[in-house]
Amino acid sequence: MADKEATVYILDMGSSMGEVRNGRKESDLDWAMTYVWEKITSTVATDRKGAQLGVIGLRTDRTENELDKEDSFEHISVLQEIGQVLLPGLKELRSKVKVGNTHDGDAISAIVIAIQMITKHCKKLKWKRRIVLVTDGRGSIDADPDGIAEISKKIKEDEMELVVVGVDFDDLDYGFKEEDKDYDKATNESTLKALVEGCDGIFGTMQQAIEELGTPRLKTTRPVPSYKGQLTLGDPETYDSALCIDVERYPRVMIRRPLTASQYVRRTDLSNGHHSTQSSNTVMPDTDDPGPTAAQADPNSLTSVKNARTYQVTDADAPGGKRDVNRDDLAKGYEYGRTAVHISESDLNVVKLETQAGLEIIGFVPWSNYDRYMSMTVSCVVIAQKTNSKAIMALSSLIHALFELESYAVARLVTKTDKEPVIVLLAPSIEVDYECLLDVQLPFTEDVRSYRFPTLDKVITVSGKKIEGHRNLPDDALNKSMSDYVDRMDLSTFGKDDNGEEAEYMPMAETYSPILHRIDQAVRWRAVHPDEPVPPVYEILTRYSKPPEQLVAKAKRQLEKLVVAADVKKVPAKTQSRKRTRNTMTPLSGLDVTALLGSKPRKTKITAENPIPEFKQALDMADGVGAIRDAAQQLTVIIETQIKDSFGDLAYSRAVEELNVLREELTDLEEPGIYNDIIRGLKRKLIAEELGGDRREMWWEIRKNKLGLIEKKVSEVSTVDEEEGKAFLLSI
Amino acid sequence: MADENKWKPPGDEEEEEEELDETAYKSAKDAVLFVIEVSELMLTAPPPVGRKEQDQDTPVSAALKCAYTLMQQRIISNPNDMMGVLLYGTEQTKFQKEEQARGALAYPHCYLLTDLDIPAAEDVKALRSLVEDEEESKKLLVPSKERVSMANVLFCANQIFTTKAPNFASRRLFIVTDDDDPHEKDKALKSSAAVRAKDLYDLGVIIELFPISRLDHEFDRSKFYDDIVYNTRPTDPEAPAPIFGTAAPTSTSDGISLLRSLLSSINSKAVARRALFSSVPLEIGPGFRISVKGYIIFKRQEPKRSCYIWLEGEKPQIATGTTTQIADDTARTVDKVEIKKAYKFGGEQITFTPEEVSQLRHFGDPGIRIIGFKPQSMLPFWANTRPSTFIYPSEDDYVGSTRVFSALQQKLLKDKKMALAWFIARKNASPVIAAILPGAEKQDDNGAQIIPPGMWLWPLPFADDIRQNPDTNLIRAPEPLIDSMRTVIQQLQLPKAIYDPRKYPNPALQWHYRILQAMALEEDLPEKPEDKTVPKYKQIHKRAGAYVVDWGHELHRQFEEWRMENESAVVLGKRPAKDDMAVRGAKRAKGDDGEGTAEVDDGQMMKAFEKQTVGKMTIPQLKSWLQAKGRPVGGKKAQLVERVEEFFEQK
Repeated sequence: MADKEATVYILDMGSSMGEVRNGRKESDLDWAMTYVWEKITSTVATDRKGAQLGVIGLRTDRTENELDKEDSFEHISVLQEIGQVLLPGLKELRSKVKVGNTHDGDAISAIVIAIQMITKHCKKLKWKRRIVLVTDGRGSIDADPDGIAEISKKIKEDEMELVVVGVDFDDLDYGFKEEDKDYDKATNESTLKALVEGCDGIFGTMQQAIEELGTPRLKTTRPVPSYKGQLTLGDPETYDSALCIDVERYPRVMIRRPLTASQYVRRTDLSNGHHSTQSSNTVMPDTDDPGPTAAQADPNSLTSVKNARTYQVTDADAPGGKRDVNRDDLAKGYEYGRTAVHISESDLNVVKLETQAGLEIIGFVPWSNYDRYMSMTVSCVVIAQKTNSKAIMALSSLIHALFELESYAVARLVTKTDKEPVIVLLAPSIEVDYECLLDVQLPFTEDVRSYRFPTLDKVITVSGKKIEGHRNLPDDALNKSMSDYVDRMDLSTFGKDDNGEEAEYMPMAETYSPILHRIDQAVRWRAVHPDEPVPPVYEILTRYSKPPEQLVAKAKRQLEKLVVAADVKKVPAKTQSRKRTRNTMTPLSGLDVTALLGSKPRKTKITAENPIPEFKQALDMADGVGAIRDAAQQLTVIIETQIKDSFGDLAYSRAVEELNVLREELTDLEEPGIYNDIIRGLKRKLIAEELGGDRREMWWEIRKNKLGLIEKKVSEVSTVDEEEGKAFLLSI
Repeated sequence: MADENKWKPPGDEEEEEEELDETAYKSAKDAVLFVIEVSELMLTAPPPVGRKEQDQDTPVSAALKCAYTLMQQRIISNPNDMMGVLLYGTEQTKFQKEEQARGALAYPHCYLLTDLDIPAAEDVKALRSLVEDEEESKKLLVPSKERVSMANVLFCANQIFTTKAPNFASRRLFIVTDDDDPHEKDKALKSSAAVRAKDLYDLGVIIELFPISRLDHEFDRSKFYDDIVYNTRPTDPEAPAPIFGTAAPTSTSDGISLLRSLLSSINSKAVARRALFSSVPLEIGPGFRISVKGYIIFKRQEPKRSCYIWLEGEKPQIATGTTTQIADDTARTVDKVEIKKAYKFGGEQITFTPEEVSQLRHFGDPGIRIIGFKPQSMLPFWANTRPSTFIYPSEDDYVGSTRVFSALQQKLLKDKKMALAWFIARKNASPVIAAILPGAEKQDDNGAQIIPPGMWLWPLPFADDIRQNPDTNLIRAPEPLIDSMRTVIQQLQLPKAIYDPRKYPNPALQWHYRILQAMALEEDLPEKPEDKTVPKYKQIHKRAGAYVVDWGHELHRQFEEWRMENESAVVLGKRPAKDDMAVRGAKRAKGDDGEGTAEVDDGQMMKAFEKQTVGKMTIPQLKSWLQAKGRPVGGKKAQLVERVEEFFEQK
């Protein structure tokens, strides 16, 4: 759990904020609010009760605050008391933030009110307290030095953080200076700066604040141990020679997932009248339906989608061969092959391996003998028990010894009693001020698939000959130009560090998850700007989607040479469609099997027992469209008979396979018309229930396997366009 | 992590998880039919050679054992795949059940031991009893007097595939025989076998031959089987040979067990049935592309999830579930087009149109685009997310891809470099930044490939995914202590100094299926699991025990010395972190007054137990102590206290 935090934003809404300055296209307030909304929405997005905020309007037309009896607190309004802000609150806030008509209102007084709000709200409890003042510094500020000193003392004592972000404030560190600055503004800036410095706060200019919005903020997560226990070598129960160190294991890498969308549908129970529980303006008006009543009548109210599961078993006596069973009549179990193994609820644990928690070293391997691609998972760190100095020293000796021997330890890890064991690889990590073991999980026997592929550096031909020069092997020129290109495109020193020195380009610490931050940005944007399109993606999220231009320019010549040496040719889209190489398939011996069939009559008979091979062979021997049409017709009759005689859906998958063969072969032979006629006829018969009653399921199968009409884009001679093909499949 | 998920609100589960589409990858189903010849010779054990581990398996029994092993393996690893066993040359004849056999077709002396299907427990049992029960096998394994027509055998297999495994992406026929010329004298039979083999080829069935040679007879494929077996690639003599296109004859005479060599040559037939992604462009430089395919080589194998079983019928049946989506308010069934996607924000939903959602997710077309190169040393050990994907060139889209890929792989291998790439696996898949690491081919002692040559696409963590190291103190071990630990490590290298996954089956997975098998066959449950991941304690004690004891003494000495010098300094030396002063302050305060650090050690807990004051401990103290003991830490305080007390009571 993260700490509780309370932030009060003080927003300057004086008339001067309505001006458009310094070549910008929006008013100072709108501009400044880009920053504020980002900050506020990211707090709202956390959905945490402990992340609370309040908002004070400064230089507002009205005066609404606790101290409003006193003169110096005029034109300050509390727009939002400290609390968790949800979407309705955010909308309300949005309507309240407007440029006012007044120039009066003291920023320092607003800070005093903020302090009071926080003190009252947080009392002496543990909160992170923060005040953020956003102003253009053009109002009048009571610059009494004693008062200022007292306030900063109070802020410091109460452990609050004061952040002042000013519109067009000078910031030499950042490199911004407003020319011809107004005298009053300059004075105000220095007054505020003195205040901030007095309490170790942050003082900055809006320019920088907005620029930095593009850099995603990283969320820090409090480390939660995934294992606490002993690291052992040997068995301490049996042998007194066993080594035991108390350790703790924490995640080092953990994938952060983007926000996930849930499914909703529009409510339909509006007549019941209880929809008022859901606030009317909670959901963005849908662009499809911008009805005038959208705001009040609640037609956009959503309800979530739930999954309802029904269960069926096969039953020969039931219509369609299946019957519904009640969920309550079902027992838990597992599949062993196709056998159902029932296990009573109380016995469910018998299939679980009983284990004791522990991290036990199995043995050691040298670094050089480990292949990185075996690492299966995210990594963790293993450190000694934090409060145990002896354990820290003991683990340190293991870390250093592993490091000196350039070795890893292989260990069996069970994080909790009765959890499945995993095997981890433990690597030593030594930094200037930190030592730990790092671990990743290794594969078990069952986790490795042994697929085989030909070697890449030599070619052995079918005839068993080993050859050096082959079109699949790079020649010297290609090797040389590849080597030059790779060296030229080196990123290890292409970047710049903070001091402008050469550094690694795109280190992991600077790569941000594009999808995570994009969705986050869009959701927060939409929450504040319901009617506007989502702004473009931040540059930093796509910066590493292509090589840096400078480097590409530098390697231009090398790339040109590489392209020439490689001589790669794109396969034209056309020839990709499998043109069958008929009659060329022979067994290893090269025997001409077709010749063995040779004496057969021209018109081949296709039997229901062996339809696919016989159909293909008939096509091999076909001497014209007539023969092709005849073979296709024979197969169609077989398919239709199968469907007609099928008990339930038993024969459907055979029919699907045969249709698939029919479709592919006729596509290859460029006779799409024959297939299209067949499938049209079949559809008609299925729907007219001419093939043994209700065969709609068979039609679903055809649709699912995309066995509809052959379209023009698949076969040029087809007369069916995409539209027609789609309609054919979808309609009944 | 699983524990964290438990606390997620239930609604959050039904979401578009953008995981790699591995389900589609798996659905490329495979059907294997073993065809084993039964003859006098096949039923004769090889003559003893005088080795001590001489195997007494006859070729038939080795083949059956092999099928049995494979069946058990596939139940675990490919639960949707089919398998069957057909014997030929037997005195007895048996085919599929009448209604499927459709009348007159008969295949004399073909005995369908296991019909092609997803194996059932009975199939495993039948196969095992044939393997283990001599009575049983004597009854069945009787060679017929007349010769079986191979054409008939092949057509029998054809019928089995046609009826039982339509629409299977992969259909394979494994022939195990030692007879290289079954129709030596009868040319007509030979020809018709070739014709039936062509039928199988046209049906898309691949015939794999596992020939067995004998001491006195080398199996010669050219006599008969070269007319039966087809090459899976076009017959271009200059084309690279499909790796292990033909299995080397397994010999009964070279001492290594017939069973083992048969198993290994069958395993070597495992081919990537389907690519995870195919013909994705690999852009090496702007405008310069080749095509590659991606394969999953490493993936955690999990037990199949539990299912619902209907017990009211004659025998237990698995109930198949179908999901319909209903609206929460009225429970009416909703249509897919009605569904909107919304994100939770500030307690309510923010909606986007489907077009907007897909636009948000769109970061370009699928592909792997190389950004540049770095030395492999710049890839820290911890920079891992999930198993890497194996990539291999494909000539489908760009002719010449293979040679370019090869040049790149060799360059990266030679200079120990890696490429960095922007990678989008599928349309609208989330982009990742990946390292591309070269991988050399690895072979086992017999020269069989274990790891294919190619490159590995390695998804890197983003800055968002990298966690900070937990705070702790640093106490560096003094040199003498490191030295004595080094001696310990040097004693305990793994065999051959490598981690070989093939030596470590997943004990939990194996146990799961072992128990299921026993329950399915209604046998007694096994008592103790075989667990190869448990360290060899005795060996560790023997080899390194004395050195560990030395190290223990050294640690004691060094620590006492360190304590004299540093004890007071440690507490002060804690680096105060600016951001959470309060937390540290509180902890330090507790640490200062001697005994009671936030965490409780065994002694304290024991005392508390004896005095019956465990209940006075704080929840964090109880939890952390229980966690260290590997006990569950959920529940209310009373339950925690109970668990602590239980712990001591058991002792």
